[in-house]
Amino acid sequence: MPEGVVYDLGYRPHEGERLGRAGAVRALYRDGVRRVLGIRRKARRKILPGLLIGISVIPALFVVALDVFISDFGEIPSFFDHPDYFDFMGNFILIFCALAAGELLIPDRRYGTIAVYASRPLRAADYVGGRAAAMAAVVFGFVWLPHVVLLVGKAWTSSDGFGSYLTGHLDLVWQTAAATVVYLVIYAAPAFVVAVYSTRQALAMFLYLVAFYTVFATAHAVSEAGYPAAGLISLPDHAGYVKDWIMGSDTQEWLAEAAGLPAYGSLLLLAGLTVLAAWVVLRRYRSEL
Amino acid sequence: MAPIVVTRGLHFAYGDIVALSGVDLEVPEGRIGLVGANGAGKTTLLRILLGILPAAQGRVEVLGNPVPERTLAVRSLVGYMPEGQCLPPDQTASDFLIYAAELGGLPLRAARQRASDVLTIVGLHEERFRPMGGFSTGMQQRAKLAQAIVHDPRLVMLDEPTAGLDPEGREEMLDLITRLDDFGINAIVSSHVLPDIERTCSWVVMLDGGKVLRSGPLTELSSAENVRLEVLDDHDRVAAALAAAGAEVTADGAGLLVALEGGDPFALVRDVLADTGAGIRRMGPRRTTLEDVYLAEGEGAGHA
Repeated sequence: MPEGVVYDLGYRPHEGERLGRAGAVRALYRDGVRRVLGIRRKARRKILPGLLIGISVIPALFVVALDVFISDFGEIPSFFDHPDYFDFMGNFILIFCALAAGELLIPDRRYGTIAVYASRPLRAADYVGGRAAAMAAVVFGFVWLPHVVLLVGKAWTSSDGFGSYLTGHLDLVWQTAAATVVYLVIYAAPAFVVAVYSTRQALAMFLYLVAFYTVFATAHAVSEAGYPAAGLISLPDHAGYVKDWIMGSDTQEWLAEAAGLPAYGSLLLLAGLTVLAAWVVLRRYRSEL
Repeated sequence: MAPIVVTRGLHFAYGDIVALSGVDLEVPEGRIGLVGANGAGKTTLLRILLGILPAAQGRVEVLGNPVPERTLAVRSLVGYMPEGQCLPPDQTASDFLIYAAELGGLPLRAARQRASDVLTIVGLHEERFRPMGGFSTGMQQRAKLAQAIVHDPRLVMLDEPTAGLDPEGREEMLDLITRLDDFGINAIVSSHVLPDIERTCSWVVMLDGGKVLRSGPLTELSSAENVRLEVLDDHDRVAAALAAAGAEVTADGAGLLVALEGGDPFALVRDVLADTGAGIRRMGPRRTTLEDVYLAEGEGAGHA
């Protein structure tokens, strides 16, 4: 009767190809995506991202279900459409970005894993780029997924037919994608900056949210007191303003708009914010990698 | 054989504190011991070799690549085991090693294979699916060594690899370091535990106060054989007779240490004992340890 045999193959050197810097950045990206979503981590690490993703998609499913119900009565009213969905999602995007930035950057420094990166073919820009790409992919998916659900659902319930509805609303694909990028940058860039100066995820998340809401509330209070220029410090208002500009909608009057800033001004401010955040984050890692 | 590390006039300071000053080194392939007290400049030197810290002055080459000009090429060829922690506690050893191998440029399939092989080599195969936060200190040190060699580097830098280990864990770690030669991996082992360096290395670089005290083969530094002698009768009479015969005699606790330049100290001791008629309590070889050399060099340099 054959018996199992354990072979000790000893040390086998790697003689195949090496992917170098590009391979290392891809590994950083994949690890980042897994980390934010809690994949291959303990169950409790999956709860918060899972909950937030659920919260973001369920209303879209609800709207689609309602459309199915209403369509039986003939007419489909237009309510809670794509531009409104961005407004509804604002706070959840904020929380998701705070969670993701902390998860991506803080454990590497807290547990000394930066020392491992420092012995691999990576520059500081590669590390930040790999992590930022993971952040962008996950947050983009988180923000855009409900719009895809909404679009497909509406196409499905449309009296014009699925294909006709989709081809008639192709603009919505790039518009929602572009607006998603705006929200992603406005919420993720400051979250990255807070995360690189913190060693505790919960504390970083708390500080980020407190700072964000404080600035938001102050901007609204001062603006309503007769100083509209103060509204320019409210980042969510810039996001909403640019979103409405991209989508051709007008869901509410945004503070940046009330301050007399043109929409492209908000867009420029957004670009400046991105550059500034990238500079701060890179500067932080240049001495470590 | 080309040297694995070459430095010329290397200088580095943290503000006003000079960490390295005029470091000239040329170390061959093999297992290299980097010894020195805390603050001697060992970790700073390793960080400069990795291209993390920029040298203020001087030239550095690792495996034929100038640093910092070809830092990424160097990092493709080296591994690093830091002194402090570097393991994410919520990740399994297997996942982390696959990731560490991919970061080193290995394709995913090769990374999986290498992670499995290396975990077996360091004795963590059974524990590969456990989160590393639950590992003992010995297991963590082995996991740290595993991540340093998982991408099959040509040179691995180990910073205090036996720190915090119990005697059994220390033995296991030293055995693993000794085996690196068989894997074709050169090693620079930084430690202030001199017996560990004596056990594992063939070449020693001694640093003190940011300067190189000695750099050379271990056999040259610690091969001199002396005799340690304890006699039943008057030590002084035997010591005087040994000194008169040309030996260098120093007191060593209850005994005498006898060194003889250019001769066999055992033969001399035998002759002197026969002449003086002194009885022997104990006699044996006393090898000059790295610690002796370090302390002697340190005294010469005015630091120890």
